[in-house]
Amino acid sequence: MIELKHISKTYPNGTHALYDINLKVDKGEFVFIVGSSGAGKSTLLKLITCEERPDGGELTVNGQNLIGIKRHEVPYLRRTMGMVFQDFRLIATMTVFENVAFAMHIVGDSRREINKRVPYILGLVNLQDKAKCYPAELSGGEQQRVGLARALVNNPDMIIADEPTGNIDPALSFEIVDLLSEINLRGTTILMVTHEHSLVKHFQKRIVEIHAGRIVADTKELGAAGI
Amino acid sequence: MKNFGYLLKEGIKNIWTNRTMSLASVAVLMSCLLMTGAAVLFSWNIKSAMGMVEGNNSIKVYIKQDVPSLKAIQIGDQIRKLDNVSTCEFVSKDDGMKQMKQMVGEQNAGLLDGLEGDNNWLPNAFRISMKDLSKYKETASKITAIEGVDKIYDYQALADKLTHIDQIVGNVGLVIVIALSLVSLFIIANTIRVAMYSRRLEISIMKSVGATNGFIRVPFLVEGMSIGVVAGAIAAGLLHLLYYYVVSSQGISSVFNVVNLNAIMVPVVVLFILVGMLFGALGGIISIGRYLKKEGGAIVGW
Repeated sequence: MIELKHISKTYPNGTHALYDINLKVDKGEFVFIVGSSGAGKSTLLKLITCEERPDGGELTVNGQNLIGIKRHEVPYLRRTMGMVFQDFRLIATMTVFENVAFAMHIVGDSRREINKRVPYILGLVNLQDKAKCYPAELSGGEQQRVGLARALVNNPDMIIADEPTGNIDPALSFEIVDLLSEINLRGTTILMVTHEHSLVKHFQKRIVEIHAGRIVADTKELGAAGI
Repeated sequence: MKNFGYLLKEGIKNIWTNRTMSLASVAVLMSCLLMTGAAVLFSWNIKSAMGMVEGNNSIKVYIKQDVPSLKAIQIGDQIRKLDNVSTCEFVSKDDGMKQMKQMVGEQNAGLLDGLEGDNNWLPNAFRISMKDLSKYKETASKITAIEGVDKIYDYQALADKLTHIDQIVGNVGLVIVIALSLVSLFIIANTIRVAMYSRRLEISIMKSVGATNGFIRVPFLVEGMSIGVVAGAIAAGLLHLLYYYVVSSQGISSVFNVVNLNAIMVPVVVLFILVGMLFGALGGIISIGRYLKKEGGAIVGW
């Protein structure tokens, strides 16, 4: 599903963000990526979503080799992944329904498909009653559930969440990760960057820890090594 | 494209969201088109006026006031004998006055009342044409040498003057039009940049969900082109209004046949709108290209 071999990333300003990263995430996995700020977590996600290109190495996402990917192919790669952001990125002038429908509009789905699918997805994240609300009328947790619904609506193979609980009350954070776990159980791969140790501890998933641009711990490899 | 209606709507929405900037873009692009149209019409009219002058063919030889008409006719015989003269037609002072009245037009004919008969200050004249205009100077000096000839009035001088004015207007017009086109492009590009800026969150979401750049671009191109269409239509309308206002208020139409704008109004409108659309699209492309290269958070934080 995602495979990085000897991936490094240097930004044009000279910052070395990642050194020789090797990581393999299989289909259906749930992975927490942890580490202090500036460790390179966000850069890792950006490489996977093709917002940034690596210096070298091998990078495959959803069967697509991202080293030689052409600019016009990137949108189609992104349609296989759903992104969730720390700042929600909801459009304030659109209702919950419209925010989710927006993602379907963009990939060219018809009105009929949209009217059928959006309520179903909103039901999945328990927001069926809030379809007509505007983002400002919702709590942080609810807003992020809208964000999640939008990421899910195009039926992606994986969800990439960059600190999705960063702007939410800790109590509601669990709710979001619960939802992600549920989605994961349906076969969607989840990649979630987070700072919150309590979440990571509670949910017992694979943990990849990045420090100063290197992977310093990976619970899967520990398990494989029998430790 | 099944999303075309949606994209069109989004483009129009952009214009409304940025009404002030859109209005400025329309105004500048409109001025640019109007100036171009005015300069072209001016030039056409000058050329048409020159055509008239040349069509009148010719060179006028004025006879001194104190030479009686009979003597004047004899002078005509002398002129006709010259090698290079092909035609020589007598224009009496009364004919001259009739022509003058015709030229100023009916509504101004009153100005010349009381100047008939003995009060006629026009001289007798001959309208002549030459076989070979390159020998003009030689022949002209021969004619002036004939006794009783006052002077030769030749329309070449007038034609030269008109050409000169046409050139000045053409050059100045070209400079202004180029300057205005650049300003229009700049302002349209900026308007669309502002529209993109105000929708940067949407653009970032579109990109993250996998919208192609083409799809993201369309509403902004629609915005630019709509600005162009509106500017083109207004400019064509204003040009028509101003043109006939100037032509009729200055009495120009009575002096010579002005270019008939009514007859070419349809192609003019189409052309103005097309050029406006082209400019709008160009302004859009300038802005969009630069900002579509940004990705994800870089768009939101722009």
